[in-house]
Amino acid sequence: MAFVKAQKTKAYFKRFQVKFKRRREGKTDYRARIRLINQDKNKYNTPKYRFVVRFTNKDITAQIISASIAGDLVLAAAYSHELPRYGLEVGLTNYAAAYCTGLLLARRVLKTLEMDEEYEGNVEATGEDYSVEPADTRRPFRALLDVGLIKTTTGNRVFGALKGALDGGLDIPHSEKRFAGFGKGDGKHLDAEVHRKYIFGGHVAGYMRTLMEDEPEKYQSHFSEYIKKGVEADGIEEMYKKVHAAIRADPTAKKSEKQPPKEHKRFNLKKLSYEERKAKLIERLNAFNSVADDDDEDDE
Amino acid sequence: MPAGHGVRSRTRDLFARPFRKKGYIALTTYLRTFKVGDYVDVKVNGAIHKGMPHKFYHGRTGRVWNVTKRAIGVEINKQVGNRIIRKRIHVRVEHVQPSRCTEEFRQRKLKNDQLKAEAKAKGEVISTKRQPKGPKPGFMVEGATLETVTPIPYDVVNDLKGGY
Repeated sequence: MAFVKAQKTKAYFKRFQVKFKRRREGKTDYRARIRLINQDKNKYNTPKYRFVVRFTNKDITAQIISASIAGDLVLAAAYSHELPRYGLEVGLTNYAAAYCTGLLLARRVLKTLEMDEEYEGNVEATGEDYSVEPADTRRPFRALLDVGLIKTTTGNRVFGALKGALDGGLDIPHSEKRFAGFGKGDGKHLDAEVHRKYIFGGHVAGYMRTLMEDEPEKYQSHFSEYIKKGVEADGIEEMYKKVHAAIRADPTAKKSEKQPPKEHKRFNLKKLSYEERKAKLIERLNAFNSVADDDDEDDE
Repeated sequence: MPAGHGVRSRTRDLFARPFRKKGYIALTTYLRTFKVGDYVDVKVNGAIHKGMPHKFYHGRTGRVWNVTKRAIGVEINKQVGNRIIRKRIHVRVEHVQPSRCTEEFRQRKLKNDQLKAEAKAKGEVISTKRQPKGPKPGFMVEGATLETVTPIPYDVVNDLKGGY
Protein backbone atom coordinates (compact mmCIF):
# COMPACT_ATOMS: atom_id res chain seq x y z
CA MET A 1 0.00 0.00 0.00
CA ALA A 2 1.33 3.43 -0.82
CA PHE A 3 2.54 5.63 2.00
CA VAL A 4 -0.38 7.69 3.28
CA LYS A 5 0.23 10.50 5.73
CA ALA A 6 -1.59 9.74 8.94
CA GLN A 7 -4.44 12.21 9.28
CA LYS A 8 -5.15 11.81 12.97
CA THR A 9 -1.79 12.10 14.62
CA LYS A 10 -1.10 11.87 18.30
CA ALA A 11 -1.07 15.66 18.37
CA TYR A 12 -4.59 15.72 16.96
CA PHE A 13 -5.89 13.55 19.75
CA LYS A 14 -4.03 15.54 22.39
CA ARG A 15 -5.72 18.73 21.32
CA PHE A 16 -9.13 17.30 20.59
CA GLN A 17 -11.89 18.70 22.78
CA VAL A 18 -14.83 16.35 23.12
CA LYS A 19 -18.31 17.81 23.03
CA PHE A 20 -20.65 17.19 25.94
CA LYS A 21 -21.66 13.56 26.19
CA ARG A 22 -25.28 14.07 25.25
CA ARG A 23 -24.21 16.20 22.32
CA ARG A 24 -21.93 13.40 21.14
CA GLU A 25 -24.89 11.04 21.42
CA GLY A 26 -26.92 13.56 19.46
CA LYS A 27 -29.67 13.67 22.07
CA THR A 28 -29.54 17.13 23.63
CA ASP A 29 -29.53 20.56 22.04
CA TYR A 30 -27.62 22.54 24.66
CA ARG A 31 -28.36 25.89 23.11
CA ALA A 32 -32.08 25.30 23.58
CA ARG A 33 -31.58 23.63 26.94
CA ILE A 34 -29.75 26.58 28.45
CA ARG A 35 -32.54 28.90 27.41
CA LEU A 36 -35.28 26.59 28.68
CA ILE A 37 -33.75 25.92 32.05
CA ASN A 38 -32.40 29.31 33.00
CA GLN A 39 -34.52 30.62 35.87
CA ASP A 40 -34.51 34.22 37.04
CA LYS A 41 -32.12 34.48 39.95
CA ASN A 42 -34.59 36.53 41.96
CA LYS A 43 -36.98 33.59 41.77
CA TYR A 44 -34.42 31.49 43.63
CA ASN A 45 -35.49 27.85 43.84
CA THR A 46 -38.80 28.08 42.01
CA PRO A 47 -38.75 25.21 39.52
CA LYS A 48 -39.16 25.93 35.85
CA TYR A 49 -41.06 23.08 34.27
CA ARG A 50 -40.65 21.98 30.68
CA PHE A 51 -43.15 19.95 28.76
CA VAL A 52 -40.94 17.43 26.99
CA VAL A 53 -42.28 15.52 23.99
CA ARG A 54 -40.21 12.86 22.29
CA PHE A 55 -41.12 10.40 19.57
CA THR A 56 -39.62 7.01 18.96
CA ASN A 57 -40.58 4.70 16.15
CA LYS A 58 -43.33 3.04 18.13
CA ASP A 59 -43.98 5.23 21.14
CA ILE A 60 -44.58 8.78 22.29
CA THR A 61 -43.14 10.10 25.54
CA ALA A 62 -44.58 13.20 27.20
CA GLN A 63 -43.09 14.37 30.48
CA ILE A 64 -43.09 17.37 32.80
CA ILE A 65 -39.51 17.87 33.95
CA SER A 66 -37.71 20.35 36.19
CA ALA A 67 -33.94 20.69 36.16
CA SER A 68 -31.56 20.35 39.06
CA ILE A 69 -27.81 20.07 39.50
CA ALA A 70 -28.01 16.42 40.56
CA GLY A 71 -30.20 15.56 37.57
CA ASP A 72 -33.53 16.45 36.06
CA LEU A 73 -36.63 15.48 38.05
CA VAL A 74 -39.69 14.16 36.28
CA LEU A 75 -42.90 15.41 37.84
CA ALA A 76 -45.23 13.33 35.69
CA ALA A 77 -44.97 11.24 32.54
CA ALA A 78 -47.36 9.79 29.99
CA TYR A 79 -46.55 7.31 27.27
CA SER A 80 -48.59 6.35 24.25
CA HIS A 81 -48.14 2.68 25.13
CA GLU A 82 -50.54 3.41 28.04
CA LEU A 83 -53.30 4.36 25.63
CA PRO A 84 -54.58 0.78 25.14
CA ARG A 85 -55.75 1.14 28.73
CA TYR A 86 -58.13 3.87 27.57
CA GLY A 87 -59.33 2.06 24.49
CA LEU A 88 -56.85 3.06 21.79
CA GLU A 89 -55.17 -0.01 20.39
CA VAL A 90 -53.71 1.04 17.07
CA GLY A 91 -51.98 4.02 15.55
CA LEU A 92 -50.03 4.86 18.70
CA THR A 93 -47.66 7.35 17.07
CA ASN A 94 -49.96 9.47 14.92
CA TYR A 95 -51.15 13.04 15.45
CA ALA A 96 -54.29 11.90 17.23
CA ALA A 97 -52.33 9.62 19.58
CA ALA A 98 -49.99 12.53 20.34
CA TYR A 99 -53.02 14.62 21.24
CA CYS A 100 -54.24 11.85 23.55
CA THR A 101 -50.83 11.51 25.21
CA GLY A 102 -50.57 15.25 25.82
CA LEU A 103 -54.08 15.29 27.21
CA LEU A 104 -53.30 12.33 29.48
CA LEU A 105 -50.18 14.02 30.82
CA ALA A 106 -51.99 17.28 31.49
CA ARG A 107 -54.86 15.62 33.36
CA ARG A 108 -52.37 13.49 35.30
CA VAL A 109 -50.30 16.44 36.43
CA LEU A 110 -53.33 18.47 37.40
CA LYS A 111 -54.72 15.53 39.33
CA THR A 112 -51.51 15.04 41.34
CA LEU A 113 -51.43 18.77 42.10
CA GLU A 114 -55.15 18.69 42.90
CA MET A 115 -55.93 21.35 40.35
CA ASP A 116 -58.02 19.19 38.04
CA GLU A 117 -61.36 20.52 39.32
CA GLU A 118 -60.34 24.11 38.71
CA TYR A 119 -58.79 23.69 35.31
CA GLU A 120 -60.94 21.50 33.12
CA GLY A 121 -59.44 22.86 29.97
CA ASN A 122 -61.21 22.44 26.69
CA VAL A 123 -63.47 19.41 27.07
CA GLU A 124 -64.78 19.54 23.51
CA ALA A 125 -61.85 19.37 21.12
CA THR A 126 -62.72 21.86 18.41
CA GLY A 127 -59.26 22.44 17.00
CA GLU A 128 -59.26 26.19 17.46
CA ASP A 129 -56.66 27.92 19.60
CA TYR A 130 -57.47 27.59 23.29
CA SER A 131 -55.52 29.08 26.20
CA VAL A 132 -56.27 28.42 29.85
CA GLU A 133 -57.85 31.26 31.75
CA PRO A 134 -56.51 31.84 35.25
CA ALA A 135 -59.06 30.79 37.86
CA ASP A 136 -59.76 32.62 41.09
CA THR A 137 -57.71 30.64 43.58
CA ARG A 138 -54.56 29.33 41.90
CA ARG A 139 -52.72 30.29 38.77
CA PRO A 140 -52.59 27.63 36.06
CA PHE A 141 -49.71 25.16 35.85
CA ARG A 142 -47.11 26.63 33.55
CA ALA A 143 -44.65 24.63 31.48
CA LEU A 144 -42.50 25.39 28.45
CA LEU A 145 -42.56 23.18 25.38
CA ASP A 146 -39.30 21.31 24.78
CA VAL A 147 -39.30 19.76 21.32
CA GLY A 148 -35.80 18.35 21.39
CA LEU A 149 -34.15 17.98 18.04
CA ILE A 150 -37.10 17.78 15.66
CA LYS A 151 -37.78 20.23 12.90
CA THR A 152 -40.71 22.44 13.93
CA THR A 153 -42.71 22.37 10.74
CA THR A 154 -46.40 23.09 10.58
CA GLY A 155 -48.44 20.03 11.43
CA ASN A 156 -45.72 18.18 13.34
CA ARG A 157 -47.02 15.65 15.85
CA VAL A 158 -45.23 17.46 18.65
CA PHE A 159 -47.76 20.22 18.29
CA GLY A 160 -50.49 17.63 18.45
CA ALA A 161 -49.21 16.71 21.89
CA LEU A 162 -48.99 20.41 22.71
CA LYS A 163 -52.63 20.87 21.74
CA GLY A 164 -53.58 17.90 23.93
CA ALA A 165 -51.82 19.43 26.91
CA LEU A 166 -53.40 22.83 26.30
CA ASP A 167 -56.87 21.35 26.07
CA GLY A 168 -56.04 19.38 29.22
CA GLY A 169 -55.59 22.60 31.15
CA LEU A 170 -51.87 23.41 31.19
CA ASP A 171 -50.55 26.89 30.54
CA ILE A 172 -47.96 26.58 27.80
CA PRO A 173 -46.99 29.70 25.85
CA HIS A 174 -47.54 28.93 22.19
CA SER A 175 -48.70 30.25 18.88
CA GLU A 176 -51.20 28.62 16.54
CA LYS A 177 -48.82 28.98 13.59
CA ARG A 178 -47.56 25.39 13.75
CA PHE A 179 -50.78 23.48 14.35
CA ALA A 180 -51.94 21.18 11.57
CA GLY A 181 -54.31 23.16 9.43
CA PHE A 182 -52.64 26.52 9.64
CA GLY A 183 -52.56 28.33 6.35
CA LYS A 184 -54.57 25.72 4.51
CA GLY A 185 -56.94 27.47 2.23
CA ASP A 186 -56.69 31.19 2.51
CA GLY A 187 -54.28 33.32 4.43
CA LYS A 188 -52.37 33.13 7.65
CA HIS A 189 -54.83 31.75 10.11
CA LEU A 190 -55.59 28.42 11.69
CA ASP A 191 -58.31 26.44 9.99
CA ALA A 192 -59.96 24.95 13.05
CA GLU A 193 -61.91 22.43 10.99
CA VAL A 194 -58.76 20.92 9.52
CA HIS A 195 -57.06 20.86 12.91
CA ARG A 196 -60.05 19.13 14.44
CA LYS A 197 -59.91 16.56 11.65
CA TYR A 198 -56.32 15.74 12.54
CA ILE A 199 -57.05 15.57 16.25
CA PHE A 200 -59.69 12.93 15.60
CA GLY A 201 -57.61 10.97 13.13
CA GLY A 202 -59.54 12.24 10.14
CA HIS A 203 -56.44 12.19 7.98
CA VAL A 204 -55.86 8.51 8.76
CA ALA A 205 -59.52 7.71 8.06
CA GLY A 206 -59.32 9.53 4.74
CA TYR A 207 -56.25 7.55 3.70
CA MET A 208 -57.97 4.31 4.72
CA ARG A 209 -60.95 5.13 2.51
CA THR A 210 -58.74 6.05 -0.45
CA LEU A 211 -56.74 2.85 -0.16
CA MET A 212 -59.83 0.69 0.23
CA GLU A 213 -61.15 2.01 -3.07
CA ASP A 214 -57.97 2.21 -5.11
CA GLU A 215 -55.53 -0.37 -3.76
CA PRO A 216 -57.21 -2.97 -1.57
CA GLU A 217 -54.06 -5.13 -1.23
CA LYS A 218 -52.02 -2.20 0.03
CA TYR A 219 -54.85 -1.40 2.41
CA GLN A 220 -54.70 -4.95 3.75
CA SER A 221 -50.95 -4.79 4.31
CA HIS A 222 -50.68 -1.22 5.58
CA PHE A 223 -53.66 -1.20 7.96
CA SER A 224 -53.43 -4.87 8.94
CA GLU A 225 -53.47 -4.07 12.67
CA TYR A 226 -56.50 -1.83 12.26
CA ILE A 227 -58.34 -4.58 10.43
CA LYS A 228 -57.35 -7.12 13.09
CA LYS A 229 -58.69 -4.91 15.85
CA GLY A 230 -61.77 -4.15 13.81
CA VAL A 231 -61.21 -0.41 13.44
CA GLU A 232 -63.07 1.07 10.48
CA ALA A 233 -62.53 4.41 8.79
CA ASP A 234 -65.94 5.69 9.87
CA GLY A 235 -65.55 4.64 13.49
CA ILE A 236 -62.24 6.41 14.11
CA GLU A 237 -63.66 9.72 15.28
CA GLU A 238 -66.02 7.99 17.70
CA MET A 239 -63.13 5.93 19.04
CA TYR A 240 -61.02 8.98 19.80
CA LYS A 241 -63.95 10.74 21.46
CA LYS A 242 -64.32 7.76 23.78
CA VAL A 243 -60.58 7.73 24.50
CA HIS A 244 -60.63 11.43 25.43
CA ALA A 245 -63.54 10.86 27.79
CA ALA A 246 -61.83 7.83 29.37
CA ILE A 247 -58.65 9.85 29.88
CA ARG A 248 -60.51 12.66 31.58
CA ALA A 249 -62.31 10.15 33.78
CA ASP A 250 -59.23 8.45 35.21
CA PRO A 251 -55.82 9.86 34.34
CA THR A 252 -53.91 8.33 37.29
CA ALA A 253 -50.84 6.32 36.40
CA LYS A 254 -50.89 2.63 37.04
CA LYS A 255 -47.75 0.98 38.40
CA SER A 256 -46.80 -1.98 36.28
CA GLU A 257 -45.98 -5.22 38.08
CA LYS A 258 -42.43 -5.96 37.11
CA GLN A 259 -40.72 -9.17 38.07
CA PRO A 260 -37.24 -8.71 39.52
CA PRO A 261 -34.76 -9.25 36.68
CA LYS A 262 -33.47 -12.78 36.58
CA GLU A 263 -29.77 -13.56 36.82
CA HIS A 264 -27.87 -13.69 33.56
CA LYS A 265 -24.66 -15.60 32.92
CA ARG A 266 -21.70 -13.22 33.02
CA PHE A 267 -19.44 -13.22 29.98
CA ASN A 268 -16.90 -10.74 31.31
CA LEU A 269 -15.15 -10.36 34.63
CA LYS A 270 -16.98 -8.37 37.25
CA LYS A 271 -15.23 -5.07 38.16
CA LEU A 272 -13.85 -5.14 41.69
CA SER A 273 -14.68 -2.50 44.25
CA TYR A 274 -12.01 -0.29 45.82
CA GLU A 275 -11.89 -2.41 48.99
CA GLU A 276 -11.58 -5.59 46.97
CA ARG A 277 -8.75 -4.18 44.90
CA LYS A 278 -6.86 -3.03 48.00
CA ALA A 279 -7.32 -6.45 49.63
CA LYS A 280 -6.00 -8.13 46.49
CA LEU A 281 -2.95 -5.87 46.49
CA ILE A 282 -2.18 -6.64 50.13
CA GLU A 283 -2.49 -10.37 49.37
CA ARG A 284 -0.08 -10.07 46.44
CA LEU A 285 2.43 -8.09 48.50
CA ASN A 286 2.29 -10.61 51.34
CA ALA A 287 2.81 -13.47 48.93
CA PHE A 288 5.73 -11.64 47.32
CA ASN A 289 7.29 -10.87 50.67
CA SER A 290 6.95 -14.43 51.89
CA VAL A 291 8.55 -15.74 48.68
CA ALA A 292 11.35 -13.17 49.03
CA ASP A 293 11.90 -14.19 52.64
CA ASP A 294 12.10 -17.83 51.61
CA ASP A 295 14.63 -16.94 48.91
CA ASP A 296 16.71 -14.97 51.39
CA GLU A 297 16.70 -17.89 53.78
CA ASP A 298 17.71 -20.21 50.96
CA ASP A 299 20.51 -17.88 49.88
CA GLU A 300 21.84 -17.57 53.40
CA MET B 1 0.62 53.35 17.87
CA PRO B 2 0.20 53.96 21.57
CA ALA B 3 -1.03 51.25 23.89
CA GLY B 4 -4.75 51.46 24.48
CA HIS B 5 -6.27 51.49 27.96
CA GLY B 6 -9.76 50.23 27.13
CA VAL B 7 -11.88 48.33 29.55
CA ARG B 8 -10.66 44.95 28.35
CA SER B 9 -7.06 45.94 27.73
CA ARG B 10 -4.40 43.42 28.67
CA THR B 11 -6.93 40.63 29.12
CA ARG B 12 -5.84 38.42 26.25
CA ASP B 13 -4.83 35.59 28.52
CA LEU B 14 -6.84 36.51 31.56
CA PHE B 15 -10.21 36.16 29.87
CA ALA B 16 -9.21 33.29 27.61
CA ARG B 17 -11.02 30.00 28.14
CA PRO B 18 -8.81 27.20 29.48
CA PHE B 19 -7.40 24.52 27.24
CA ARG B 20 -10.08 22.16 25.87
CA LYS B 21 -12.83 23.95 27.77
CA LYS B 22 -14.09 26.15 25.00
CA GLY B 23 -17.61 26.25 23.72
CA TYR B 24 -20.84 25.76 25.66
CA ILE B 25 -20.62 26.25 29.36
CA ALA B 26 -22.00 23.64 31.70
CA LEU B 27 -25.56 24.08 32.89
CA THR B 28 -24.64 24.01 36.59
CA THR B 29 -23.68 27.66 36.46
CA TYR B 30 -27.24 28.54 35.52
CA LEU B 31 -28.89 26.25 38.04
CA ARG B 32 -27.13 27.64 41.10
CA THR B 33 -29.02 30.01 43.36
CA PHE B 34 -27.46 32.86 45.28
CA LYS B 35 -28.87 34.59 48.34
CA VAL B 36 -28.02 38.01 49.72
CA GLY B 37 -25.10 37.66 52.11
CA ASP B 38 -23.47 34.69 50.38
CA TYR B 39 -19.79 34.87 49.58
CA VAL B 40 -18.91 34.52 45.92
CA ASP B 41 -15.75 34.45 43.83
CA VAL B 42 -15.68 36.52 40.68
CA LYS B 43 -14.13 34.58 37.82
CA VAL B 44 -14.71 35.92 34.35
CA ASN B 45 -15.98 33.53 31.69
CA GLY B 46 -14.66 34.89 28.40
CA ALA B 47 -17.33 33.09 26.38
CA ILE B 48 -20.13 35.26 27.78
CA HIS B 49 -19.67 38.84 26.75
CA LYS B 50 -22.55 40.38 28.65
CA GLY B 51 -22.35 41.35 32.28
CA MET B 52 -18.58 40.99 32.47
CA PRO B 53 -16.88 42.69 35.39
CA HIS B 54 -13.76 44.77 34.91
CA LYS B 55 -10.53 42.79 34.91
CA PHE B 56 -9.62 44.16 38.36
CA TYR B 57 -12.36 42.07 39.94
CA HIS B 58 -11.23 38.81 38.40
CA GLY B 59 -10.23 36.57 41.27
CA ARG B 60 -11.77 38.73 43.99
CA THR B 61 -14.23 37.49 46.55
CA GLY B 62 -17.14 39.49 47.83
CA ARG B 63 -20.60 39.31 49.33
CA VAL B 64 -23.88 39.31 47.47
CA TRP B 65 -25.96 42.40 48.09
CA ASN B 66 -28.49 42.20 45.27
CA VAL B 67 -30.10 39.52 43.14
CA THR B 68 -31.71 40.38 39.79
CA LYS B 69 -33.09 38.38 36.92
CA ARG B 70 -29.82 37.23 35.38
CA ALA B 71 -27.15 38.91 37.45
CA ILE B 72 -25.94 39.32 40.98
CA GLY B 73 -24.74 42.40 42.81
CA VAL B 74 -21.43 41.73 44.55
CA GLU B 75 -19.72 44.00 47.06
CA ILE B 76 -15.94 43.83 46.71
CA ASN B 77 -13.16 45.69 48.48
CA LYS B 78 -10.86 47.80 46.33
CA GLN B 79 -7.90 49.81 47.49
CA VAL B 80 -8.00 53.29 46.03
CA GLY B 81 -5.04 55.40 47.10
CA ASN B 82 -4.82 55.34 50.86
CA ARG B 83 -8.18 53.74 51.66
CA ILE B 84 -10.24 50.66 50.83
CA ILE B 85 -13.59 51.29 49.24
CA ARG B 86 -16.44 48.77 49.24
CA LYS B 87 -17.37 48.69 45.58
CA ARG B 88 -20.71 47.38 44.39
CA ILE B 89 -20.77 45.79 40.97
CA HIS B 90 -23.34 43.79 39.06
CA VAL B 91 -22.11 40.64 37.43
CA ARG B 92 -23.90 38.01 35.37
CA VAL B 93 -24.09 34.62 37.03
CA GLU B 94 -21.75 33.04 34.48
CA HIS B 95 -18.88 35.05 35.91
CA VAL B 96 -19.52 34.10 39.52
CA GLN B 97 -18.84 30.98 41.56
CA PRO B 98 -19.92 30.23 45.11
CA SER B 99 -16.96 30.76 47.39
CA ARG B 100 -15.59 28.13 49.69
CA CYS B 101 -13.92 30.63 52.00
CA THR B 102 -16.54 30.17 54.69
CA GLU B 103 -16.97 26.45 54.19
CA GLU B 104 -14.44 25.47 56.85
CA PHE B 105 -15.97 27.93 59.29
CA ARG B 106 -19.49 26.66 58.72
CA GLN B 107 -18.45 23.05 59.17
CA ARG B 108 -16.58 23.91 62.36
CA LYS B 109 -19.70 25.70 63.62
CA LEU B 110 -21.80 22.60 63.05
CA LYS B 111 -19.26 20.33 64.71
CA ASN B 112 -18.90 22.65 67.68
CA ASP B 113 -22.64 22.84 68.13
CA GLN B 114 -22.75 19.09 68.15
CA LEU B 115 -19.88 18.79 70.66
CA LYS B 116 -21.44 21.39 72.91
CA ALA B 117 -24.78 19.65 72.84
CA GLU B 118 -23.14 16.34 73.75
CA ALA B 119 -21.16 17.95 76.57
CA LYS B 120 -24.28 19.65 77.90
CA ALA B 121 -26.06 16.30 77.92
CA LYS B 122 -23.19 14.76 79.86
CA GLY B 123 -22.80 17.79 82.09
CA GLU B 124 -19.15 18.55 81.37
CA VAL B 125 -17.60 21.82 80.39
CA ILE B 126 -15.56 21.86 77.19
CA SER B 127 -13.79 24.55 75.27
CA THR B 128 -14.22 24.44 71.53
CA LYS B 129 -11.62 27.10 70.86
CA ARG B 130 -9.03 26.29 68.27
CA GLN B 131 -5.54 26.04 69.72
CA PRO B 132 -2.44 26.90 67.69
CA LYS B 133 0.00 24.12 67.06
CA GLY B 134 2.47 23.99 69.96
CA PRO B 135 6.16 23.12 69.90
CA LYS B 136 6.97 19.49 69.20
CA PRO B 137 7.23 17.30 72.33
CA GLY B 138 10.62 16.10 73.50
CA PHE B 139 11.75 12.59 72.64
CA MET B 140 14.60 10.21 73.26
CA VAL B 141 16.70 9.37 70.24
CA GLU B 142 16.50 5.63 69.56
CA GLY B 143 18.93 3.34 67.80
CA ALA B 144 21.71 5.84 67.43
CA THR B 145 25.28 4.60 67.15
CA LEU B 146 28.19 6.80 67.96
CA GLU B 147 30.76 7.38 65.28
CA THR B 148 33.68 9.49 66.31
CA VAL B 149 35.19 11.40 63.47
CA THR B 150 38.73 12.70 63.87
CA PRO B 151 40.83 14.52 61.37
CA ILE B 152 43.68 12.53 59.83
CA PRO B 153 47.14 14.14 59.73
CA TYR B 154 48.02 15.72 56.41
CA ASP B 155 49.87 13.29 54.14
CA VAL B 156 51.71 15.06 51.29
CA VAL B 157 52.54 11.93 49.31
CA ASN B 158 48.93 10.71 49.04
CA ASP B 159 47.54 14.05 48.07
CA LEU B 160 50.00 14.76 45.30
CA LYS B 161 49.72 11.26 43.79
CA GLY B 162 46.92 12.26 41.54
CA GLY B 163 47.94 15.43 39.85
CA TYR B 164 51.63 16.22 40.29
